[in-house]
Amino acid sequence: MLSQWLFYAFATVSVLGALGLILSRHPMNGAMWFVVTLVSLAGLYSLLSASLLFALQLIVYAGAIMSLIIFIIMFLNIQPADIPDEKGKWAYLLGGCLAVTPIGLLLLKIVSTLPGGEIDIVGNGFGNVKSVGMVLFRDWLLPFEIVSILLLVALVGAVVLAGKKEITQ
Amino acid sequence: MSQLDILLVVLRVAFGAFIPICFIAIGVWMERRGAGFIQDRLGPNRCNIFGFRFGGLVQNLADGVKLIFKEDMIAGHIPHRFYFVLAPVLVFFTALVSFAAIPFADTLVLGGRSYIMQTIPFDIGILWFLACTGFAVYGIILAGWSSHNKYGILGGLRSAAQVIAYEIPMGLAVVSLLVVYGTVNLSEIARFQGQLLFGFIPMWGVILQPLGVVIFIVAAFAETNRTPFDFAEGESEIVAGFHIEYSSMKFGMFFLGEYVAMFASSAIIVTLFFGGYQIPWLATETMVAYAQPIAIVLMLLLPVITYYFTNWIRKNNVSHYYRPNDPLVREANVYIKICWILAAAVELILLTLVVINPSADGVRIFVVLLQMATFLLKATIMCFVYVWVRWTLPRFRYDQLQKLGWQILLPMSLVNIFITSAVVVALS
Repeated sequence: MLSQWLFYAFATVSVLGALGLILSRHPMNGAMWFVVTLVSLAGLYSLLSASLLFALQLIVYAGAIMSLIIFIIMFLNIQPADIPDEKGKWAYLLGGCLAVTPIGLLLLKIVSTLPGGEIDIVGNGFGNVKSVGMVLFRDWLLPFEIVSILLLVALVGAVVLAGKKEITQ
Repeated sequence: MSQLDILLVVLRVAFGAFIPICFIAIGVWMERRGAGFIQDRLGPNRCNIFGFRFGGLVQNLADGVKLIFKEDMIAGHIPHRFYFVLAPVLVFFTALVSFAAIPFADTLVLGGRSYIMQTIPFDIGILWFLACTGFAVYGIILAGWSSHNKYGILGGLRSAAQVIAYEIPMGLAVVSLLVVYGTVNLSEIARFQGQLLFGFIPMWGVILQPLGVVIFIVAAFAETNRTPFDFAEGESEIVAGFHIEYSSMKFGMFFLGEYVAMFASSAIIVTLFFGGYQIPWLATETMVAYAQPIAIVLMLLLPVITYYFTNWIRKNNVSHYYRPNDPLVREANVYIKICWILAAAVELILLTLVVINPSADGVRIFVVLLQMATFLLKATIMCFVYVWVRWTLPRFRYDQLQKLGWQILLPMSLVNIFITSAVVVALS
């Protein structure tokens, strides 16, 4: 019962945070709203007893990535005046909504007519560090390593691109 | 949930919430008296209540009153007042909740049910601590940015860059530890350290991971913004850094948050590397089996310690010149009486334990209390190391700090991971 109410609370807050992100004008406000979304998503993960994902969401997304983004907003001191003026924002928004509505209705219809799949309810411990590690390093070892090499390549590429330029005479 | 369950939940949460707050007072006091001791002066020792100074602890009370009753002011040029107020709250609160995953005693078994002695009994342990330190950056960034002040922004930038940079060696030092312990759960880590290496050395993290302990402690000092890494401030360059625009209790929150963070990171260092609540050579089961001999030894030791402690008070708490009816001697006599009354009370409790031969539950509670005392003692010693370092080492230069983080600690921690993994694989 409590977990249901918590689910509603976290879901509402995460949607509100996402709305705040796209609606707020100041970049710092947008970033902070996004942090709210990320934290409430972490709450949703913990309700699903995915404790490792909960911790990683807090450490990686909310703790590291967003703090870097906010650090950069502070570093560059971006003010609302620096952001390009969006003319006809509301007209675009209205037009976009009208254009997307049929697709949304179609999706709703598809989802509502989906046949009920077979759902196995797994135990409470499936999301803790040990079990996720077992799955990751036994069944998915190769994809995991490939993804880590991809990330490493991206990292090295960023360092090369951002590295010091040789001063040409 | 039975009444016992609820009582234990309340006790654990109270421990997790109030002990770090109590340690603010102890930390500030230790900092000032420690600074005095290291700089060969006395430190604060004049504040008193009816002549009782408690070795300078009353000064904290005076400072607290001062901070609370100062004018709480937000300067007119500050555009984002919400973030300005949020920042100190974030710094204080994240420091406080980072203590939540740390076990302060071994699992308490009462009537066949076991209670994990952490504030929040979850199994992500060290990951929770890393998440909380990650959130502390927000407080610093928001404070520096919303102050709308050159010095504030510079201090916030330096401090945030430092905390983000040192999170990496800290995380990697934790990785090599996890390879050794095989778990992220801090309760299991502390239990692991109750074993003995070669049958006689306590299996503490400091012995298994000598390089890891250095990296982790250095990174922890940087994370808490303590000297030699206190770049957040610098009187000659950026004045008070990110909290320059703060006054009254909003400054107080930063100040208190620093000491809570110091205590929490002391606690995590103790848990990871110095055996947590473990008393060396006395694992929980040994203590449960030999509760009565331990109680007898404590009963014999306690009067001796109290005797020397009271003698020390009597020797030091006197005026250094002639005063008729020396008020300090009167004060010392009261302290000495209090010490002996406390010692007698503890002796009485121990005596009942020895004489009555209590049930298994009673013995378990006795062991848990001993372990809690051990944990707090170790954390206090680690806090003293923080103070000691602060008043011994000067501040680094900023480029030296980043160089140390990226060019020395980061490769060192990577090498440490490789060596540790190789050894662990070779031994298993």
